Amino acid sequence: MQDNTARYQEFAQLGRGGQADSLSFRLILRLLWRCLPLLRTVRGPLAGLVACGAILIALFAVPVINVVNIFWNGVLEGGPLSDLQATMIGLDPDRFSSATGLSVAARKEVLRHLVWSVAGLLVALTPIFIGLVYWRIWILQRVNQNLRILMIEKLQALSLRFHDEQRVGDSIYRLFQDSAMVTQLINVLFLSPLETISRFLFTLGLVFLWDPRLALLLMLAWPPLFYLGHRFARPMRVGFRHAREANSRLTSIIQETLAGLKTIKAYGAEGSEKKRFSDASLEAFTAAYAARNRFVGFKVLTFWCVGLTLVIGVGFATGLSASEAPLYGEQFMISMGFAAANSGVWNLGFYNNFKDRFGDGTHTEHHLLDLWGTVQDVATGLDRTFELLDLESDIEDAAGAIPITSLSHGVRYRNVSFSYESKQKTLDEIDFDVPIGSIVAIVGPTGSGKTTLMSLLLRLYDPDQGSIEFDGRDIREFTRTSLRENVSIALQENILFGDTVAENIRYAVPHASDERVREAAEIACALDFVAELPKGFETQLGERGTKLSTGQRQRISIARAILKDTPILILDEPTASLDAETEHRVLQNLARWADRRIVFLITHRLSTIRHADRVAVIRNGRLIEWGDPQQLIEKDDGAYRRLANIEAGKPLRTEPANSQTGEP
Amino acid sequence: MPNSFQEDEKQSARDAARTIGRALRYIGPFRRDFGIKLTLLLLSFIPMMLLPWPTKILVDHVIRGIPFGEEPRPYPFFLEPLIQAASELSPTAVLVWTIAAQFCLLVGIGAFGVASRERNSANGDGIPQGWDTATRTENEANSGFSLVGGLFGLLDYRFTMRLTQKLNHHYRTHLFGRISSLPMTSLDDERIGDAVFRVMYDTTSITQACYALVLTPLTSPLYILLSIWVLGLVYGWVSPIVFAGLAFLLVAFIPTLPLAGFQRLYASRSRQAGAKTTSTIEESMSNVLAVQSLGGEARELDRFDTDSANSFRQYRLKVLVDLITYSIAAVFGGGLVIYVFFHVGDGIVDGLYSPGDFAVLLPFFVGIASASIDLGALWIRLQGDSTGLNRVFFLMDAASERDSESDRALGPLQEKLELQAVSFAYETGRPTLEGINLTARSGQVIALAGPAGAGKTTIAQLIPRFINPSHGRVLIDGQNIADYSLDSLRSQISFVFQETSLFDATVEDNIRLGHPEATESEICEAARLAGASDFIESLPDGYQTRLGRGGGKLSVGQRQRIAIARALVRNTPILILDEPTSALDPETEQRLVSALREASRTRLVIVIAHRLSTIREADEILFVEEGRIVERGNHPHLMNRPNGRYRQYVNMQTLGTDSPTSPTTP
Repeated sequence: MQDNTARYQEFAQLGRGGQADSLSFRLILRLLWRCLPLLRTVRGPLAGLVACGAILIALFAVPVINVVNIFWNGVLEGGPLSDLQATMIGLDPDRFSSATGLSVAARKEVLRHLVWSVAGLLVALTPIFIGLVYWRIWILQRVNQNLRILMIEKLQALSLRFHDEQRVGDSIYRLFQDSAMVTQLINVLFLSPLETISRFLFTLGLVFLWDPRLALLLMLAWPPLFYLGHRFARPMRVGFRHAREANSRLTSIIQETLAGLKTIKAYGAEGSEKKRFSDASLEAFTAAYAARNRFVGFKVLTFWCVGLTLVIGVGFATGLSASEAPLYGEQFMISMGFAAANSGVWNLGFYNNFKDRFGDGTHTEHHLLDLWGTVQDVATGLDRTFELLDLESDIEDAAGAIPITSLSHGVRYRNVSFSYESKQKTLDEIDFDVPIGSIVAIVGPTGSGKTTLMSLLLRLYDPDQGSIEFDGRDIREFTRTSLRENVSIALQENILFGDTVAENIRYAVPHASDERVREAAEIACALDFVAELPKGFETQLGERGTKLSTGQRQRISIARAILKDTPILILDEPTASLDAETEHRVLQNLARWADRRIVFLITHRLSTIRHADRVAVIRNGRLIEWGDPQQLIEKDDGAYRRLANIEAGKPLRTEPANSQTGEP
Repeated sequence: MPNSFQEDEKQSARDAARTIGRALRYIGPFRRDFGIKLTLLLLSFIPMMLLPWPTKILVDHVIRGIPFGEEPRPYPFFLEPLIQAASELSPTAVLVWTIAAQFCLLVGIGAFGVASRERNSANGDGIPQGWDTATRTENEANSGFSLVGGLFGLLDYRFTMRLTQKLNHHYRTHLFGRISSLPMTSLDDERIGDAVFRVMYDTTSITQACYALVLTPLTSPLYILLSIWVLGLVYGWVSPIVFAGLAFLLVAFIPTLPLAGFQRLYASRSRQAGAKTTSTIEESMSNVLAVQSLGGEARELDRFDTDSANSFRQYRLKVLVDLITYSIAAVFGGGLVIYVFFHVGDGIVDGLYSPGDFAVLLPFFVGIASASIDLGALWIRLQGDSTGLNRVFFLMDAASERDSESDRALGPLQEKLELQAVSFAYETGRPTLEGINLTARSGQVIALAGPAGAGKTTIAQLIPRFINPSHGRVLIDGQNIADYSLDSLRSQISFVFQETSLFDATVEDNIRLGHPEATESEICEAARLAGASDFIESLPDGYQTRLGRGGGKLSVGQRQRIAIARALVRNTPILILDEPTSALDPETEQRLVSALREASRTRLVIVIAHRLSTIREADEILFVEEGRIVERGNHPHLMNRPNGRYRQYVNMQTLGTDSPTSPTTP
């Protein structure tokens, strides 16, 4: 158990700048690989999308080369077209592929046909393009949603040991920003490398047809690019990691400040909180600046490498074109219909085509390096996502756990010990037995472990030693869900959700009828004030005029616990904020309702304890007295008696004093 | 006062224009930076004007071998000296020199001719983002941009990124400050996630709007004029290319105009859905104790699933509207591009232009066209920002409690605090308090007692002006507190809330919150008085123990005592405690009450409590019922009234009407 606490503390520290770079190339690939299962639900659409994209690219490759050649050779130079070229733009091949070249009139005609063909193609493609982009976004968002759901499930499965350490802002940041990196997954792992590498190879082949030496030049750009990629990867990752951590801290600060705004205002700490925010905001920006600077610096350097290659290549090609040197793949070009007979030389058309191809080659090289930079941030984000997903919840269903059917005998705590931190025991060898039909009051000084004792019953934590048994079976043999379905609790902090009163009461039983909601509210003595709210049970909490007092919130949370209608009910300080009269009514109602159930009352109030038929007195985590309150009160020097006396207004001294209440 | 964080989804065009215009006012402190950015932009125009020419030289003179001076169009005068020098060189030498020049351009500005697609290599594209508003705006918050690359581009980019960040930092800190000065009653726990979203992700809209409003209208016309001038030098002043380029102004403006409303609608829905999702996560994470103990996991998951899916859907629809908008403009723009191809193609065929001119005309046309598009699309591009601005301004405009604050300082309480005929009502609700009169003197302990929901907390909240009375006055030493500054008022009041909130900091820092200069011994003393020193010392790191989220590692009673220590350490003339002892055991409570008695010698202590043992010690007890003070006096005095409400209340608590066996039967 303690290792889990340590692990959770470490996790919480991760968000505080503790984590240095721990990713290597192999780890990055493994990380990306681990995301693959997230694609399962979109396999079909994704395959369809990739196929459509590939078909479009393939359909485009031939026309693009020809369009450039037709424009430069045919229109501008007046050279003859190939049969394919003429047919493509709807001209009679016989008239336009004669070896003698084209007349001015013919060149203008070619131009018109060319332009309209291209325009028509573009207009026709626009809706297809929109559709594909939309489809792609839909797929990527689905993947992101899948990951977010996994993360939320994990966050909910993690025990309170985790949540005591975890900052809310960090969870928000991981869910929003870090998980979004998964949308890049398909891009950086498959589509982009696949597309870019195949485009590079295709281009390399084409350039080879123009001139093998130029193809070699294209390859020469790789060694310096590899070096830069290697050299920059680590600093970029560290930078991105820091930026993410700083932004996650900033989110936490906003959330925490707003959650404690009342206190901050009351103590005039707005100024220092604004300063704290401002510092964190600057820190986040500075971290992002450093990360992006490395990224952009990297891009400029890689650009210089490919740019130099491009300048040299184009210069070389210009020289070849000036002398109209023959193309290396002359015959191939002519036989494929890219050039008319005898025109497979370095003319303007092939020159410009070469510039485009070679530019494309260097562009893909640069793009791959960009992608490498991007991967660093994507991996950093996904790493943070998996940090969360990899946490083991310390409370899992045991193998072969069974659901609870009913509780017919009682609950037993058997030598239960528990501690939050290793240093001291919060609960020490607690042992008692509660038969069904009892109301048990748990009393003792603050911080003595009363609330913890009850948390174990819900398996919000598991005991370190000993066990809790329902009808003689260890509760760890039951499924956690069924356990929590059989125990309901009204917490000491009356947490209500931003929903209607009825929905808040219904929280644990979403399909409860209005009638049952009313009944529960009646038992909790909440009917009167709910009726006075603007819209009764349908009043939205948290909106204008519907501020509930603490006592009112308390009764709603009791009603919520009652509605669950479980064999075990725990009320943690149920009456602390209730006035005496309301308290009395609530407890009387409860006593009637609680027949054949077990009710635990954590309380300090004598008036509440009086409704119990058993009292457990806890001090420093130990059960020091246990029994019938009537008998315990008789016990001289008993702990319970002492507490009762103080509460009833007798002075701390043990000698019997005159009761001050009712004294004239 | 914002009653809910929900502004109108539908913004009319005029509202949007007003909102956007307002963003301009926020440039003020950054005028100088904007000046520098403008200068950098203008400087980058120069290489843009030079870039196309080397390609023309290569095509016309090196490849096609046209001798210098025989080209159909002359070179602009600023290139004359170069052309002069070049005409004396062999084609090979020209080739080498041109390549050298391109290399310099490459290093300097990351560009060389139009064949390169890498022109904007320094604009920071490639930072990965998802398909939702949150990641997109976080990127936006850190975005730099430059028209060029290379060393100059890097410089420009870094400066711009810093500027963007400076602006965003300024605005989000400002908004954060505004939110923290909202009246206490307006920010519900349920809206925290929404506020987080506004601070983190909506504020960037201000920066984006400022850039669009300042840079585009100034630089785009200049760029167009400069291009027309250079073109005019070579191709005549009335070039069809120029008109085709300028026509993009209308192409970008007219077809997109009818879509502006949709843009606003979907951008706003997308932001709202994002904010709702944030609220959902925030709520279920903050209340994880309730969720787990009530078995609400499935319900929360379901809620998150719905909200998150909806936020994705809204963002997708927003992108779809964007796509359609730009496609419509692109189809019209395509027509203009076709026209240019006709014109240039015909010109070359007719010998008006050389093939090399194509390499010049096209980039100039593209330049003019994109500058025109920037101008023409200014309105449509601002629509998305206007929804973010709307959400930011909505909070900034919400009346803050400091809006009409006086700067006069109120002296510390010497003698007495009075409430004179005070009434209070929430905006639409029934009156919560009516005709409250109260006089409390320094040195007294005053207790407010009464049934839940009677208005006790409301009375207490009037004193530090967390709320203001609807009628009547609150006076300190005869001065109306409404006439003095909040800081001077609140610095003399320590308020302990019913629901304590601790921060994820050390015990010591939590106690020190209200009194940053407190010494260690003062802190220990306050903790001792509050009955907290024992358990604090048994924590793993004592006063240096980090408390975890919301003080989650402590029991409620322990948290309550730290909150009391936090109040005591400030040593203020007025101390108000709202049910300070509800979660304390009788023994601790008893010690605390005597500590309070002790503390009240030099100050005024006001306690709200249900517990008899706390109330009994008060000098005066005010029994509150249904918003009125129905009885007042000390404990023996009130117990003497045969049918007094207080007496009934006490009897109920000590005797229990049905429990004759109570140990305290008199």
